[in-house]
Amino acid sequence: MTATVDRTMRAAPADVGFFVVVFAIARRGLQRVVRIPALMLPALLMPVFFVVAFSGSFSSAVQVEGYGTNEAVNWMAAWAVMQGAAFAGVGAAGAAATDLENGFFDRLLLAPVKPLAIVTGLVMYGQARSLVPTTLVLIVAVLLGADLPGGVPGVVALYVAGIGVATFISLFGLVVAFRLRTTRSLSLIQIAIFSFMFLSIGQAPLVAIEGWLHHVARINPMTNILRLARQGFLGDIGWSTTWPGLVAIASLCAVFGLFAWRGVARLRP
Amino acid sequence: MSASSTVAQVAILSRRSVLGTFRQPQSWVPGFFFPLMLAAVYSSQFAKVVDLPTFPFEIDSFLEFILPASILQGVAFGATNGASDLAADIEGGFIDRLLASPVPRQVILVSRLAGSAIFASAQAIVLMLVFLVFGASIAGGFPAAITLVLVGALLALGLGSLGCAIAFRSGSQEVVQGTFPLIFVLIFVSSAFFPTELMEGWYGAVAERNPMTWIIDPARRLTIEEFAWSDAGQALGLCAVFAIVAIAVASGQQRRRLRTS
Repeated sequence: MTATVDRTMRAAPADVGFFVVVFAIARRGLQRVVRIPALMLPALLMPVFFVVAFSGSFSSAVQVEGYGTNEAVNWMAAWAVMQGAAFAGVGAAGAAATDLENGFFDRLLLAPVKPLAIVTGLVMYGQARSLVPTTLVLIVAVLLGADLPGGVPGVVALYVAGIGVATFISLFGLVVAFRLRTTRSLSLIQIAIFSFMFLSIGQAPLVAIEGWLHHVARINPMTNILRLARQGFLGDIGWSTTWPGLVAIASLCAVFGLFAWRGVARLRP
Repeated sequence: MSASSTVAQVAILSRRSVLGTFRQPQSWVPGFFFPLMLAAVYSSQFAKVVDLPTFPFEIDSFLEFILPASILQGVAFGATNGASDLAADIEGGFIDRLLASPVPRQVILVSRLAGSAIFASAQAIVLMLVFLVFGASIAGGFPAAITLVLVGALLALGLGSLGCAIAFRSGSQEVVQGTFPLIFVLIFVSSAFFPTELMEGWYGAVAERNPMTWIIDPARRLTIEEFAWSDAGQALGLCAVFAIVAIAVASGQQRRRLRTS
């Protein structure tokens, strides 16, 4: 893995192309999970378990008004996909934190590479990782009886939302990892992400949620992202449920991207 | 080695175990944060579910329904961390130093489990107090509350023993931590977060046969309905049997490690 980047550096030590570095870092991350499957396994199995468990446990919850479906799996599949994408994002931050601890990141920063290329490479790794749980959960959801009336556009919306979540969570994780420079930061990242995701319409529609959570879920950007992801399971695709999710993803990526870029720039000696 | 000396050693090592947990917030914070967070979220998300005609309990708030599950979830976090600390002691060589000292071998496991049980009891009390502050009530009163604390302590002994068995077997913190999702699965595929009466198909059938359900259901009746010796006996009895079996497994793994090391 290290050799992948090192070969790239040796090929053009003075002027390494932006995308060469991006792809090298992303490939290094993917090679790492191929060589150490244990790193990827929980992130793969947990979303699959979630779609089975949430659909099974809360199968009668859809009797409450507002779900728009009689099958819990139609509601829970997108929720499980988002969690799988979030795990992928945490994985990207974890890779960065590990490299910060073992000194590889210091060597990377001494090389003639742009900080933005490092961040982009790590995010691309997170995005690529997210495709696996998204596909796996989708297959399991269909096996469990998910309807997908939204057809191919609905599936596209699901993947867009999954990649979007993996992107901004990778960026958020990198902000924290660059600041704390330790793998212990991962528990902090997980707590923050867990809170962000659960305080939304993950398991229940907004009209069914009561009290303080109703107000929090209404303004939580994750609610619009879930609407984007879930629409293909509940009916036809509509622009009114698509654009707010896209805006939420773009906004979160812009904010965390800026901080991540500044964070990696500060790490340079 | 006199009995008083052995008790003193257990006390010292148990204290070390509890202090070790408290000094690492990353070890104990998730055991409070996640159960409380999930309880807060579910009590709002499923507030209307309790009004469904098929809901098997007459309760005002979903918070009351989820109380036993939250204690169980928190205890599971703590028990895994206790076993993980034992694995860290094996990795760091502390256990080797203990073995070189005149400490009875059983003290190593007993003190670790005592630490986990003490921590779990404290955790159950704190979680219950937080629930009470936020409006939950325990219909079974003080006896039910005591039963819940004891259930938490016994479960910590059982789950902690299984974790210690894995720690003795593998000697790796990573392996012990890797078992937590299995406990999570065991808790989730039960009546912990939703009544099994409302679960459909094979999932409901599996949840009804999950031993966690047999512990959670009587514990829940104690909090929602009233105190009954039969419910207390079922919850405590099952936890005690589980703890005894798990301790036997952990002792076996400890002996095996001593033979091979």
